[in-house]
Amino acid sequence: MAHVVLKDLIKTYGSFKAVNNVSLTVNDGEFVALVGPSGCGKTTTLNLIAGLIPITSGDIFIGDRVVNGLDPKDRDIAMVFQNYALYPQKSVYMNLAFPLQMRKLPRDEIDKKVREAAKVLDMTQLLERKPRELSGGQQQRVALGRALVRDPAVFLMDEPLSNLDAKLRVQMRSEIKRFHQDLKATIVYVTHDQLEAVTMADRMAVMNGGFLQQYDSPAQVFAHPANMFVASFVGSPAMSLIPLEVSTANGGTVLTSAEGWSLPLSQLNARKVLGATTRKIVLGARHSTIKLHKSAAPGAIPAKAYTVEPTGDVTFVQAFLSGAIVNISVSPNIAVTPDEHIWLEFDQERIHLFDGETEMALQAD
Amino acid sequence: MSTIAETASRSRSCRRGGVDGWRWAGRIFLVFMLLYTALPMVWMLITSIKSGFAAMQFPPQWWPDEPTLASYQKLLDPQNSVGQDFLRFFWNSLFVSTATTILSVIVAVPAAYAFSRFRFPGRNFLFFTVLLRNMFPAVIFLVPLFILMRMLGLVNTHGSLILTYLTFGLPLAIWLLKGFYDNIPVQLEQAARIDGATRFQAFILIVMPLSTPGIIATAIYSFIGAWNEYIYAYTFLSKNEQLTLPVGIQRFFSENTTDFPGLMAASFMMSVPVVVLFLVLQRYFVRALTEGAVKH
Repeated sequence: MAHVVLKDLIKTYGSFKAVNNVSLTVNDGEFVALVGPSGCGKTTTLNLIAGLIPITSGDIFIGDRVVNGLDPKDRDIAMVFQNYALYPQKSVYMNLAFPLQMRKLPRDEIDKKVREAAKVLDMTQLLERKPRELSGGQQQRVALGRALVRDPAVFLMDEPLSNLDAKLRVQMRSEIKRFHQDLKATIVYVTHDQLEAVTMADRMAVMNGGFLQQYDSPAQVFAHPANMFVASFVGSPAMSLIPLEVSTANGGTVLTSAEGWSLPLSQLNARKVLGATTRKIVLGARHSTIKLHKSAAPGAIPAKAYTVEPTGDVTFVQAFLSGAIVNISVSPNIAVTPDEHIWLEFDQERIHLFDGETEMALQAD
Repeated sequence: MSTIAETASRSRSCRRGGVDGWRWAGRIFLVFMLLYTALPMVWMLITSIKSGFAAMQFPPQWWPDEPTLASYQKLLDPQNSVGQDFLRFFWNSLFVSTATTILSVIVAVPAAYAFSRFRFPGRNFLFFTVLLRNMFPAVIFLVPLFILMRMLGLVNTHGSLILTYLTFGLPLAIWLLKGFYDNIPVQLEQAARIDGATRFQAFILIVMPLSTPGIIATAIYSFIGAWNEYIYAYTFLSKNEQLTLPVGIQRFFSENTTDFPGLMAASFMMSVPVVVLFLVLQRYFVRALTEGAVKH
């Protein structure tokens, strides 16, 4: 296994910058998820690491080697593709054997390794089948087997679970996680599903528009999103972002809404807001940190329920506040009906504040 | 209520009756088409086993009184001058067609792959010009190509025909194969390259085997085109020992008065390689032409 370092990585197509100055380090044995919406540059970044497309500028290290100009075959990597990319004309056995044959291993050693991998993945009885005779889950296992059969320095995975049905996806998710724990493998994993990234990765790199937005552990990204994009992308339902303005009232700092209400800030939050260069502030709050009152309460802001979505163990209520959609989760035994008047109370300790112009999270320095 | 149900059922039965009528009309039409295409070939076969006298009889004998294989024996006998000519024409045709086929596959496979996989300046323009050639009837190019071949000193060589047939066959071959390569996911090659193959190995080991049906269809198409071609062979070649079958048969029998059984036997033998090729490889051909019609 080896570590991977990306340094000032840039990939342009004409005037379009698909990957913009991305720098990050994947430690030896670490599971890193590249996550972001489609077109954010995550797959391009993975293909750059694999060497499938040439880089425009910057450096890629695998281990201590610069691999910028190397062919994919010389980078000592293995890759699992979204559509599995199994060789349709070859049996499962030959699919698993192919990477070893290309490395000119002796036949008996190939046989031994293929059977070992098949045993680990529990597909010994499938070895003679062709890929088209396998179910989606089995194909995905073969793809994984072809990657692990030769012990590469780094595993690259490009949305390996997105073609599976929901139930199988959850199952394979834990299998891949287990596989990472057992092998202590270095894995770079691309996904558009923030839940996959949060549940599986040691660290997640959130990307948008070709830029790396934040690179940290899922817990840190969740608790301290660096900007509004990360805040709204990670977590489900998304963090509510409410555009407001700073003003002073009764000697304290408050956020006021065009709708007329205002929210007094705690001292710590006031310091954050006053450090901003703009008066436009965006208030962020996750659904579980907003308290819903059925009648007026001190410090609570009046709103109107828009939709109510019961999911069984929790009910999600959506409301409009200052022109933004606010998600609130409540216990299922609190009955809320659409268009009902409700009051929302924000937890000063757990709200997020963003600069309305730069969209960056505000810090109290 | 009942009236509504009745009208509905009546209209349904009417419609079914209409469909049945059309279906029968279709079947009858197909039977006529079958007779139209098959009868001349059957007649060719029957005539080829008649004697020269029986072939000229009127009213014609539907089945000869004395079927004979004499015409075939004559054509295939290397001692006989007729047989020598026929076998030489056959060999010439085989050589020209096979060479055309091999060269067209050698050129079409990489060309189609490049059109499918690479983005290069002028790609669309080039692809269009490849197809442009097929928008004109072949005869238009007869005189210009003859002049060109004369300048190249290729008149009266088989090379002139091979080159000409290539220019006719390649556009469709490239076009057909490109469709094939478009349908092979690029990730297969990427996987192969990551698994340790060079770009060329990925093409040879993974992509080529997957495009076999397309390559076979391309080959059949080029072979048949070259095998049956008449007008260019007639124009470019004048020496007897170089003629290909279509020209040879025609010339050869008009010189020796018209020996209909001989002509038919020769025609039949000329169609044998094409039919055999087609029967053996037809499933690939059909697959190639319908590939990409549905997304799998």
